[in-house]
Amino acid sequence: MGKKELKVALFLAWRSLRRGSRSSAILTILIVGMCFTNMIFLPSLFAGIGQTIKTQIVDYEVGNVLVSPQAGEQYITDLDATLDLINSMPGVERATPHYSKGATLKYRQRILGSSIRAIRPTDEKSVSPIHTKMIAGSYLGESDTGEIIIGKIIAGDATVSQEDEFYSSLGGVRVGDSITVEFGNGYTKDYRVKGIYSTGWTSSDNSALITWSDMEIVEGESLDKAEYITIKTKPGYSEKFVKDMLMSYGVSPQVHTTDDLLSKAIGSVLQSFDIINMVSLIVSIIITTVVLFIVITIKTINSRKQIGILRAIGVQKEVIMHNYGFQVIILALFGIVLGIAIALLLALYLAYNPIVTPEWSAYMYLTPMDLVSNSLILLASAIVAGYVPAYQVSREEIQSSMRA
Amino acid sequence: MIECAGLQKIYQMGNVGVRALDGVSLTIGRGEFVGIMGASGSGKSTLLHMLGLLDVPTSGEITLDGIDVNTLNDYEKTMFRLYKLGYVFQDYALVPELTVAENVFLPAMLRSDRTDEEYTTATFDILDRIGLSDRRWHLPKELSGGEQQRVAIARAIVNRPDILFADEPCANLDTENSRRVLDLFEEINREMHQTIVMVSHEDWHKKYFDRIIRLRDGKIVEDNHALS
Repeated sequence: MGKKELKVALFLAWRSLRRGSRSSAILTILIVGMCFTNMIFLPSLFAGIGQTIKTQIVDYEVGNVLVSPQAGEQYITDLDATLDLINSMPGVERATPHYSKGATLKYRQRILGSSIRAIRPTDEKSVSPIHTKMIAGSYLGESDTGEIIIGKIIAGDATVSQEDEFYSSLGGVRVGDSITVEFGNGYTKDYRVKGIYSTGWTSSDNSALITWSDMEIVEGESLDKAEYITIKTKPGYSEKFVKDMLMSYGVSPQVHTTDDLLSKAIGSVLQSFDIINMVSLIVSIIITTVVLFIVITIKTINSRKQIGILRAIGVQKEVIMHNYGFQVIILALFGIVLGIAIALLLALYLAYNPIVTPEWSAYMYLTPMDLVSNSLILLASAIVAGYVPAYQVSREEIQSSMRA
Repeated sequence: MIECAGLQKIYQMGNVGVRALDGVSLTIGRGEFVGIMGASGSGKSTLLHMLGLLDVPTSGEITLDGIDVNTLNDYEKTMFRLYKLGYVFQDYALVPELTVAENVFLPAMLRSDRTDEEYTTATFDILDRIGLSDRRWHLPKELSGGEQQRVAIARAIVNRPDILFADEPCANLDTENSRRVLDLFEEINREMHQTIVMVSHEDWHKKYFDRIIRLRDGKIVEDNHALS
């Protein structure tokens, strides 16, 4: 099969598509486009949900890397030295400690059980973006005492009655209000609400933060220990690299990357997503293959006589086969371009109008690699669907084709 | 140019074998305009298809230009048809999505010894010659039956074949258009010394042929030079 033969096959294919049934070509392109959209939509939506969850867990829960106490221990001890060591490691942007204590919050007639988390505001800002999510008041300062910032859920809404609340709250706390916090160790203190934040991540919006120095007052001692340390990695460094570095320096045997934690926490959910994605992909491929197979089969059946004539005048079987093969490739390419356009428009729409739930918001997480790999899969199935009937009909005896 | 000996073609219809050709032997020389005539079912089209390598005989030998075509494989037969043979069919058999010019130069496009410029020039020359140069960018459906058949003839001769086969080319045409097509065949035969083998059942076509081979029940019953 030489260049000349391929040129003739392409010439016949292009002419057939341009001057043949336009409605049939448009319909086929539309179906391929829809199948492509179907192939890309659900997986990228699930990827978007996964990505949102991961981002929120990284931002508001565990950072890129989480250091936990050794097995059997409640705290990471010798905190300052540990933080110095971690912060000096390559790939570490910043490490910040966390220390929580159970407490009861009281505001007017409302009482709410919660966990109060102590942070070092300056370090925390480098690791978690909560400071950018303030909807009222301001973030904690390093030397603040007697001040607290609370999540939107804890603050609550004064217009919603207690019975109608989905999550329990303090019923409409505002910045400047005073709330009483009764810690588990019996220590009680009134805190002025300095700020209210809303991250969209339920467990974060259901938390309250005070400064490290305030927690030292609560505990009555200098806190050189932490429940856990969250770490933000520098751009260009993988979480795994930082984890390996920390472990090699003996920071703690309990070092986890986000992926480690995600696979434990929502591994089965992600696995279910994968199964749904696979089913959706297979169904799309089958539909595309069957549609293109039918289109080309009908085309070849209707053109049997013409195929016989072409062979009679010296057109090789391979040219005829590639003619239909090229037709299906061209249709599939147009369909893929249409599908990419639809997918990008959907992604754009969902980027501005994500599907929001109390736990996560979903948008389409679409990478160029997703588009390329799905395009190639669809193109491959289209080639199979087009070439099988084309091969069959090109093998028919000239006489039987011409008699059709 | 064309030699065949003991040509037989038996079609199997269920358990019954139908003998379409029964031991046909003939020789056709270069430049002859031969008419194969006979009643319907006499085997004339079958003979043309055997000689034109569109079908294979049950037995017998065919030699075209000194080549025993029975020994050729499928690809070689395709190349033989492309380089040495031309065909005109009863129902024009043009590709509906191609323009007149594209239909004509299609077989020439496949030849490795022709450049784009050469086959385009040859196409325009032929269309000029058959009086259809002003319709070159029209689609077949925009042409009359007679015009379509003239385009089919142009396509058949664009590669300057050694032998031109025509299978009842006037069957779908009225007398006026048939005459124009036959005049064109005659002109090609006279001016280009083109060997033409044409199947016809119309008696008045006889006057165009140098030689008439008449078949009945798959056998040659008459072979003469009608006009000589």
